[in-house]
Parts: sequence; structure tokens; C-alpha cells
Amino acid sequence: MRHLPKHLRPRWRYLGVEIEAWPDAQITRGQFQRELYYNAQNLIGDVGSAEVDLSVFGFSFSNGDGAAVVRVRRGEVERGRAVIACIDQIDDQPVRVAVRGVGGTVRACEERYIRRPLETPEERTVAFENADRFAFVRERRIAVRTDNGFAGATDFDIE
Amino acid sequence: MYEAVHARPDGTSTVSRLALTASELEYDGLVVRCHDDAMAEYDPNEIAAGFGVDLVAGVELRADDRSSMASAITRHRSRQTIVCVHGGQHNRLACEDERVDVLAHPMADGDFNHVLARAAADNGVHIEFNFARVLRADGGERVNALRDLRRLRTLVDKYDVPYVVSGDPHSHLELRAPRELVGVGTVIGFTDDQIRHGLLAWKEIAARNRDRRSESFIEPGVRIGRYEEDD
Repeated sequence: MRHLPKHLRPRWRYLGVEIEAWPDAQITRGQFQRELYYNAQNLIGDVGSAEVDLSVFGFSFSNGDGAAVVRVRRGEVERGRAVIACIDQIDDQPVRVAVRGVGGTVRACEERYIRRPLETPEERTVAFENADRFAFVRERRIAVRTDNGFAGATDFDIE
Repeated sequence: MYEAVHARPDGTSTVSRLALTASELEYDGLVVRCHDDAMAEYDPNEIAAGFGVDLVAGVELRADDRSSMASAITRHRSRQTIVCVHGGQHNRLACEDERVDVLAHPMADGDFNHVLARAAADNGVHIEFNFARVLRADGGERVNALRDLRRLRTLVDKYDVPYVVSGDPHSHLELRAPRELVGVGTVIGFTDDQIRHGLLAWKEIAARNRDRRSESFIEPGVRIGRYEEDD
């Protein structure tokens, strides 16, 4: 099929998105995309989903830290942002998804807003709340394994 | 802009971890408002200096009956910069007490009406637009939350009640940046100015109360200070 003439082609914006989760989370591109569609449908409905036309371009995730590039129609960036803000878990794994910036091309977006992954977390025992706990330590971010799930901490909290 | 958070043991992340994420999301400060039975222990100056985020000491009061709520307000007013009341059961008491700064989630399991709106406006009690269930629930529960917010917004607009906005995070993973709250707010019928105003209001309450607690403050309009000498 012939391409549309340039002035009739849809215009896009690309959202540079960071994804944060606990260190044991397993998230694939498919799961992320499904959650994105699901949230769009819940928040803005079928009509809004079609208008915003979200889709995932780049995706990487490992050890609770990741990034993605999400495409939206130009002029719908704020609604895209709202949908992304409402993603609070992916397959029952709590996540924080944040838009770091908006670019006009995939390349510009990746270069400016997708930072290189954090270093692999170091697993060690730390003293947290007067007890020895197993923890994942990555730079200043520390995820301490407690009796009921992980606790988020930093180097200020461990003795 | 400021956000109000629940830290460990009330939430799942420590104050410092919330401050780290808040600094990345470009918040200027955090109000730590743990419930009064699960207060966080932290060193505000050290953390504020480490992450460049202002930390405001706060509390969210819960009580079974009116008299224990009233005594809790008296007890915490002199210790905390921002006193919030856990909305629902004690909406009326909170709206009629000028020592209360914020009535949190008034619609969560209670009701709010024109009488309370008028009382809150008279006493300068801020009403919270709580986005917790908009951000983290779905289906019927979210529909209820949206309906409640809509009703609250009508009353707040009509009676010119002061208000604050919060995503009510309990961990650093639940924190959302100001721009994202603005995005969600505009989708559900707020204007972006309303959301920004609501996030800034936390800062204004903190600044006002810090000023009132400073030693030079006597009463509104009267303070101890240095004056120019007469000739």
C-alpha cells in the first residue's frame, strides 16, 4: 500500500518512561504493554484509547529497574501521562512508572530521557530497625527483605 | 510543590527513601503524615540536607470517639507542624476545629455536605482531594472515588473552602510526580491550576505554621522584632 502523503500522516510524540519495582520483580514488554492498554481502557475508555493510541516502542527491564519509550498521538501527551501515572502494578508486582520527558522522535527521546541502567544490586545483610536483614543494595537505594515483603530504604536507614 | 506521604511503619518505605524518590520527581518537600499510632522516627535535618527535599513533621489523627480525637488534636498541635484528621467518622469535629490544618479523605467512609463545607471555610480547615483510589483502584471502587471527588469539588468551589491535593503514597513506588497528578486531575475534571494550587497549599500551610511556632510570633499581626529607633 502506498504511504500517505506527508501532511496527512499522523504526528506522534514519544514519552521516555522509567520503571521502578522491587528487585525480585519480573516484567516483560508484553506484560507492560498489556497493563498500559488495560489502564487506558479503565481511565479514558475505548474512545480515549483510540484517540491517544498508546504503544510501546523500546523496553528494557532487569533487577527492578527499567525504561520504556511509549508513543502517543501528538496533542494527547497529557492524557498519555495520566494513563501512565495510573499504572501501579504489573501482574500483582507493585511498580512506579514515571514520564521523564517527551521527545519528537524515538531517537531523541532515548538519547535525552532514557538513562543507562543502574548497576546490578549487591545482595548482602544489613542492620535495619535493630535486626539483621537480607537486602538488595544499589547505590543509595536499598530494598530490605522484611517479614511482610520489601521495605524501601536508603543508606541513612542502615547502621 | 509538596506531597504528603505515609512512611514506615505506617507505609512500606522509610522517610529517606521517599525523600530520595521525591527529589528525583522534582518535589520541593514532603509532609510526613503517619497515623498517630504508627509514627516514623527520622532525622529531618540530615535527610533534608542529603536529598535537598524539605521535610515537614505532620500527623494524621485517628480515634474511636470524639473526646479522644479532641484530646489527640490538643496533644499533637503543639508538637507537629501539620495536623491532619483521618476523615470519615470525625469530619464534623475536624471542620469545626480551627487547630486542624487538613481533613484527609473526607469521603473515604464518611460524608461531606454544605454545612461542613461552610464550617471548614470559616475555620480555615483544608479539605483534601485524595487521589489514592483514582491512582490505585479500578472498577466500581474507582467509580465511587471519582463520584465522591466530583461532589467534593462542587462543594469546595461553591463555598470557597481551602483545599490540598495528594496522591496519598504509602511507599516510594506509589509516589507520582506533580505533572502526572496534573495529568490525572485534568482527565477526571479538575483544572491544572486547581491541582497545582492543591500541591502548593501543603507548602503554604507548613510555612504559616512554622512561622506561628517561631519564637518571635505572638499572634497574627503581632511579633517580637527589632524596630528602627526614633530620632
